[in-house]
Amino acid sequence: MAHPTESVSLQDKNYFLVRRLHSLLGLVPVGAFLCVHLLTNATILAPGEAGGEFQKSIERIHALGPLLVPVEVVFIFLPLLFHSLLGFQIVFNSQSNAQQYRYGSNLRYTAQRTTGILAFLFIFYHIWQMHWFGKPVGGGAFELHGAAGAATGAMTTAVAIQQAWWIAPVYAIGVLSCVFHLANGLWTSLITWGITIRPESQRVAGYVCAAFGLVLAIAGMGALSGFRTFDVKSPPPVVTDGHADVTSHGH
Amino acid sequence: MSKSFTVTIQRQDDPHSPKYSESFEIPYEPGLNMTTVLQRIAATPVTSDNKSSTPVAYDSCCLEEICGACTMVINGRVRQACSALIDNVLEESAGAIDVKPMSKFPVVRDLVVNRKAMFESLKRVKAWVKVDGYHDLGSGPRVSPHEQEDAYPLSKCMTCGCCVEACPQFNDKSPFIGPAAVSQAILFNANPTGKIDRDERLEVLAGPGGIADCGNSQNCVKVCPKDIPLTDSIAKAGRDTTLYKFRQFFGR
Repeated sequence: MAHPTESVSLQDKNYFLVRRLHSLLGLVPVGAFLCVHLLTNATILAPGEAGGEFQKSIERIHALGPLLVPVEVVFIFLPLLFHSLLGFQIVFNSQSNAQQYRYGSNLRYTAQRTTGILAFLFIFYHIWQMHWFGKPVGGGAFELHGAAGAATGAMTTAVAIQQAWWIAPVYAIGVLSCVFHLANGLWTSLITWGITIRPESQRVAGYVCAAFGLVLAIAGMGALSGFRTFDVKSPPPVVTDGHADVTSHGH
Repeated sequence: MSKSFTVTIQRQDDPHSPKYSESFEIPYEPGLNMTTVLQRIAATPVTSDNKSSTPVAYDSCCLEEICGACTMVINGRVRQACSALIDNVLEESAGAIDVKPMSKFPVVRDLVVNRKAMFESLKRVKAWVKVDGYHDLGSGPRVSPHEQEDAYPLSKCMTCGCCVEACPQFNDKSPFIGPAAVSQAILFNANPTGKIDRDERLEVLAGPGGIADCGNSQNCVKVCPKDIPLTDSIAKAGRDTTLYKFRQFFGR
């Protein structure tokens, strides 16, 4: 990198640290968060009252109260931003040749960069659509509680997913991109950190990472189909007090 | 009944003139290799459309896949012209052969490229054992057969350029030194005398263009004509730089 700018030379000076931080942050906390997030969302499929188990899960997360925002910023948004920005630099510095050399590992190399970009775009859209950060610009659909304490987590999510026909396919592509990027990133990180060295150990790690990715993909797609088929017309389940009927009367 | 096949070559008269392509019709005979084909063209440089041309410039030296000089891209795959047997190459592409110079190095003329970048990378990682000097250094330390078995495959590298040609991370935008130099750093770090410069090599591997710029496409190990376990070396470089930086951080 021959750019004489200050930021680049600062990066060059801490090259190893910056690049290893990129690898580490992709796994923990970002990758770990993805696992928790998809498994939590998969509770929408739990038997019993529709969305009841999901509501319990998200209320456990929101029990952090005022600490939730700093936790989100420090453990999710900032690491994600760092990982993404450096990731874009890595993508721009690469020159894919998957057409010419069609080896499995080379196709995964290109896929890692493609899914990274797709995941970034999707997460941007997803945060706008669901997180209250998006409220000032027309997003922020997710609500933990409606009026009078009605449990609306599953309901608001399902309404947002079912708003248009293209949203669920976009989610499928986005979630699968994230899952592939994490599972393949886990495989390459084992090489980066020098844990798997011989081709045999890398092959075994490949099977383990593929199985890990498959479980996450099933959880993610299960959650998506759960919200896609969630009955948005039935009244939301009641959690704290018994006035859920008030909200359904109001509309 | 004489068969023939077409060889299409990407040519360039000098580093600054434009690329162009020329096709030559070569009478088939069994046991040809790419180098003999280029010799046939030099003997009668007449293109397929009967125009008089010039011999195609190419590098070659050992003619037995030891020196790496005749490395070029044949039918989209980087390899040595001397060991590219035409019978095999024709099977891949049904009667036509496409030849280009390596794309990651500046072209000198036709198929001749300047691989200086690779040798500069070897200098950066100090890919040698320090034994120069007028004073008597005594005999070197003994090397166990086990260590020899690990080192020998790495020592077969001829700096031909196949690994960097196929590497998506080795390009103008990226500072990556390439798999060959990483592997040579690991080779000389394993040498009992070469170990003296171990930390200096690891410092380079941890810096810009070092091991962090590997993208794990693993093309290098698949195109390496000498079957060098390049990805083993790369993973070892990852491990060694991790441990080195930990030691450095915690004051060894």
